[in-house]
Amino acid sequence: MPQEPVLAVLLLSTLAAVVGALGALPFGLPRPPSSAVVGGAYALASGFMLGAGYLLVSRGLDRATIAVLVGAGVGVAYTHWVHVYSGLEELEPAPALVPGAEAADGRTIERGYKILLQSALHSAAEGIAIGLAMVLELRLGIFLALALAVHNVAESMALTEILRRRGATVAEAAGLCVVAKITTPVLALASYALAPVMTALLPGALGFASGCLVFLVLTELLPASYRQTAKLPVGLMVSVAAGAMVLLEHLFLRPSG
Amino acid sequence: METTVGLVFLYGLVTALATGLGALPFWFVRGVSARTVAIANAIAAGLMLGASVGLLLEGADYGMLQTLGGAALGLVFIVFGRQALAGREVELGALRGAGARQVLFMVAVMTLHSFSEGVAVGVAFGGGQELATLITVAIAVHNVPEGLAISAVMRPKGASILACAGWSVFSSLPQPLMAVPAFLFVELFRPVLPYGLGFAAGAMVFMVFLELLPEAYESARASTVGLWVSLSLGAMVLFQRLL
Repeated sequence: MPQEPVLAVLLLSTLAAVVGALGALPFGLPRPPSSAVVGGAYALASGFMLGAGYLLVSRGLDRATIAVLVGAGVGVAYTHWVHVYSGLEELEPAPALVPGAEAADGRTIERGYKILLQSALHSAAEGIAIGLAMVLELRLGIFLALALAVHNVAESMALTEILRRRGATVAEAAGLCVVAKITTPVLALASYALAPVMTALLPGALGFASGCLVFLVLTELLPASYRQTAKLPVGLMVSVAAGAMVLLEHLFLRPSG
Repeated sequence: METTVGLVFLYGLVTALATGLGALPFWFVRGVSARTVAIANAIAAGLMLGASVGLLLEGADYGMLQTLGGAALGLVFIVFGRQALAGREVELGALRGAGARQVLFMVAVMTLHSFSEGVAVGVAFGGGQELATLITVAIAVHNVPEGLAISAVMRPKGASILACAGWSVFSSLPQPLMAVPAFLFVELFRPVLPYGLGFAAGAMVFMVFLELLPEAYESARASTVGLWVSLSLGAMVLFQRLL
């Protein structure tokens, strides 16, 4: 595999995207997951993503603090701009909306498309993160791809719940989950290919990927999680999942300590 | 030696007093709407997450496993602490009820976190004396946003500026107290340091996701919360890296 790292990037980022479809399967069971379970899936996905953001930033800060932070700022601004420009920002229900009122909202076709667009944007940031991690160190890239694959299972669970409410079958939902994540391998390959040419920009790019991931967690995943699940389990799952990312990275990549 | 111990304490005290400065911006904030409270919570959340990033990076230098072990203890501490306080009448100055309980936790977490920071200062002093002034200035300036975080939670709940400043200074008092023994017995304290740093990081991260963020999302748009958290998080990391 080390001889053909491009292949590894392609395979692993595709794996990260495709494995996500598993998240749709529980909805085929006689008793589909409850809203609280889906909220918990969001919380786990958030924690993994924040852990990934920390790992990228900590690698970048070793090189250049200012460049990383400027990159992170650009990542946040870019993601926010995309939200506003695409109208995704309007997706969030009014602050005090009761959970029951959301069901009607979930049935509109408009929201269904936008949810998929949102997922595609979100997966693009993950692709950049995987690609850059591969540039830094193959093992870090592999680790990140596997962690994001787990994260995608949780995320697809949440996505499937929304698609099911719009009348999609479990198979359709699983298919759409994979299609919406096609941006992961595309951007993983692109950022892997471009990074060696622009080594000077690498710290900034690490910051950018991290800024995108953290801002997506703050504006999409966490609010959804708190709407569906109590704050104690959410707080615990986010913190433990983020800590687990840092621990596993340490155990896998720095065995000597 | 005598003068140096006094000096370490004095420097530590200066850093503690600097924390009180974090209350000052609230002098200029008048109306406290639900949205202002949400933004204050978002700012506090970002500052605490940024501080945790700094603690983790520092802890990694002493031992990542110990740091993460400490972080797990921090989570356990908050879970059990909340259980112990649940249903109990908590009063903190003019504050009562649920608000007082949250403020008490915030102050407790920040105070415990200062114990570890104090040890970090002392161990750093033990490493080389010429760096002393530089480290003190760095810690003092870095304490100001911590006072800001405490005040951002206390002030909207009706605490006076003086109370905000007072509790901010209080939360940093362990710094001079711990810096001296850590400086005198560097070899004894160094192994404990990563646990302490991790404990503080774990407790702070958990506070953010358990209390500050859910409250922020209640009365502000997710994009507003996201932008303020990102901004203060980035500012805190910048602050800590440059000093």
